[in-house]
Amino acid sequence: MKKLHNSHPPPYPLPSREGKIGEGVFVIPCTVKKDRVKDLLITASEEWDAFVPWKGPEEDVQFVKLPDEKRKNFLDRLSLEDGAPLIPPKTVIFPQLESLFEFEEGKIKEMIPSPTKKLLFGLRACDVKAILFVDDFFKRNFEDIYYLNRTMNKLLVLVGCKTPPRDCFCTSTKTGPFLPVPRSLGEVGKEGFDLQLVDIGKKYLVEVGSEKGKEFIGNYQDFFEEASKKDVELSKAMKKKAEEAVTLKIDFEKAIKNFCEDKISQIIYEKIAERCIYCGGCLYICPTCTCFNIFDGKKGDRGKRSRNWDACVFEGYTREASGHNPRAEKWLRTSRRYEHKLKYNYLTTGMSGCVGCGRCLATCPVNLGMSKLIQEVTK
Amino acid sequence: MKNEYLPHPARIESIQRESFDTQTFKVIFVDEKLAKSFNYKPGQFMEISLLGMGEAPISITSSPSRKGCLEFTIRAMGKLTRAINQLKRGNVLYLRGPYGNSFSLEEVKGKDLYFIAGGIGLPPLRSVINTVFDKRENFGKVKILYGAKTPDELCFKEELKVWQKFPNTELLLTVDTQDKDWKGNVGVVTTLWEKTAMDGNQAIACVCGPPIMIRFVVQKLLESQFKEKNIHISLERYMKCGLGKCGHCNIGGKFVCIDGPVFTYSQIKELPAKEHVL
Ligand SMILES: Cc1cc2nc3c(=O)[nH]c(=O)nc-3n(C[C@H](O)[C@H](O)[C@H](O)COP(=O)(O)OP(=O)(O)OC[C@H]3O[C@@H](n4cnc5c(N)ncnc54)[C@H](O)[C@@H]3O)c2cc1C
Ligand code: SF4
Ligand code: FES
Repeated sequence: MKKLHNSHPPPYPLPSREGKIGEGVFVIPCTVKKDRVKDLLITASEEWDAFVPWKGPEEDVQFVKLPDEKRKNFLDRLSLEDGAPLIPPKTVIFPQLESLFEFEEGKIKEMIPSPTKKLLFGLRACDVKAILFVDDFFKRNFEDIYYLNRTMNKLLVLVGCKTPPRDCFCTSTKTGPFLPVPRSLGEVGKEGFDLQLVDIGKKYLVEVGSEKGKEFIGNYQDFFEEASKKDVELSKAMKKKAEEAVTLKIDFEKAIKNFCEDKISQIIYEKIAERCIYCGGCLYICPTCTCFNIFDGKKGDRGKRSRNWDACVFEGYTREASGHNPRAEKWLRTSRRYEHKLKYNYLTTGMSGCVGCGRCLATCPVNLGMSKLIQEVTK
Repeated sequence: MKNEYLPHPARIESIQRESFDTQTFKVIFVDEKLAKSFNYKPGQFMEISLLGMGEAPISITSSPSRKGCLEFTIRAMGKLTRAINQLKRGNVLYLRGPYGNSFSLEEVKGKDLYFIAGGIGLPPLRSVINTVFDKRENFGKVKILYGAKTPDELCFKEELKVWQKFPNTELLLTVDTQDKDWKGNVGVVTTLWEKTAMDGNQAIACVCGPPIMIRFVVQKLLESQFKEKNIHISLERYMKCGLGKCGHCNIGGKFVCIDGPVFTYSQIKELPAKEHVL
């Protein structure tokens, strides 16, 4: 820990007090200038593995770790303004492919990821909610040591969407474009973000969601300035505008209710099954999907056991060695895909497995997706 | 935090051939401490692997009442299970677990027990059966109904003879196709209903076998007055992790690997019918 703000009484954050100008229990909000964000990231990356939305050579954006060298050049392709990246930050917390252990001549060597400090900077609200969901899943029942080690020291910095992408519906799922700031001690950390940044033109207004977030500001206080009343007003207007920019509205609550009460007819799934090519793309890029396969690879007597993402829409997902397949029919896989998210996740955790990011529709080659299904079942 | 994905080497102590494609392996953990402390319950399974060949869920067929004995009966079905069946005494397997729930014997003390198995469904039930026989006085009547495709495919041929000799115990065998030496019943398991009285009023049934067999057996059990909550069924689903994580064994809101594999018929009825549970 570099500068703990307890030992260095900082100008920010300040405890909330009478006549406060901002919202939340923690602090009078502060701001960070946009042209200082890159420097903040470079400085913070001395202590943190910093992951940022980064535009690759093919113009696709995904979360990539700041390299050790040429960080300034690298950050030229930082992508904070565009909507949620099509490839979700799930790749950081639950990689598409990871090794569980290596073996050689019958000896096993564990490959548990080290619990390095990870700064995920530039997450969208929906993705913060998704990470919260996935955290909860990997802790439930058996604790998954690979996931938990990788993610136990993470700081989530949300940058709310200014112009939400066309396909998202986060105002209907109540997962964005911004998350509520804690207003009482009981609410601290509940929403999942540590810091939330609101674009107010030349700078971001910074809101604090947790103790960890507060500590981060204290440690890098040189980058933060006190927010003015006007900044706060601007941020409020900005949040409102962003909310209004989410034009896709669906009746999510009714959909959940219909799913929980088993009101979805087989015909709806069969109609989807006629179109869907069962490529699984929607599930790979879904920020809450966690299914995986375990497999071995070896050369001679050396090799490893690994896991990689799998998807319940694949025909082989439930096919047993005997050939018996309880989900041989396509529509059953479609029903599994949607019911898991909208019914069973909700019934077991109180959280729905859909956070309204719209990625499934955006990626689907045949124009299917969660919002379409929901429109269909709430007609 | 324990690394549940890490398997532990276990040495094959002996191999018993059951049929042309099935063998029973008696194994012991290489790590002596683990071998001593290892515990399990009847009905549980383990993930068994060969490094580089993958893993498969296999029921423990031995009984916790017989300390120091850990056995698996494995049918060669695919890549891994075929490779395991090529192994010799002294070779090493890799195990993790035990996983899943179990057949609870506490709740069924004093009651009549009916075991109905088809094919490779007997190994998990054998774990319960031997646990019961090791405390024979604690239970009422025991009836074992067991069917296989051919006489050769009946597992535990010697042990079946031992079971038959226990007091107040009936063993009924059947095969789908007989050979020239077979003198017993021919037909599916449910044809054994004609050979013995099946009184389900106060009795418990434990069932394991292929889905189609289970479906017909449950029908028959209900006709014989077994209560839905007294019919215990061990389900099989494609599995990868055994930990409620990989998602493959999901049925509705349940994971067969951690909420099961043993479910009562009343629990199974709560699962979505379209999932073809039975
Ligand atoms: C709870 C449970 C207990 C079982 N107990 C026994 C037993 O005591 N004896 C026995 O011979 N068989 C048992 N099976 C079935 C056994 O797991 C499969 O025959 C075995 O997985 C086939 O693996 P393979 O690699 O040889 O076949 P492949 O076709 O090469 O299978 C590849 C992988 O798919 C998965 N898989 C394939 N079929 C099944 C299946 N039916 N169930 C679960 N996963 C599967 C496994 O992860 C396997 O490693 C049990 C299955 C379950 C679910
Ligand atoms: S992306 Fe579209 S076609 Fe592919 S599995 Fe999902 S819904 Fe089906
Ligand atoms: S086997 Fe992985 S969730 Fe059950």
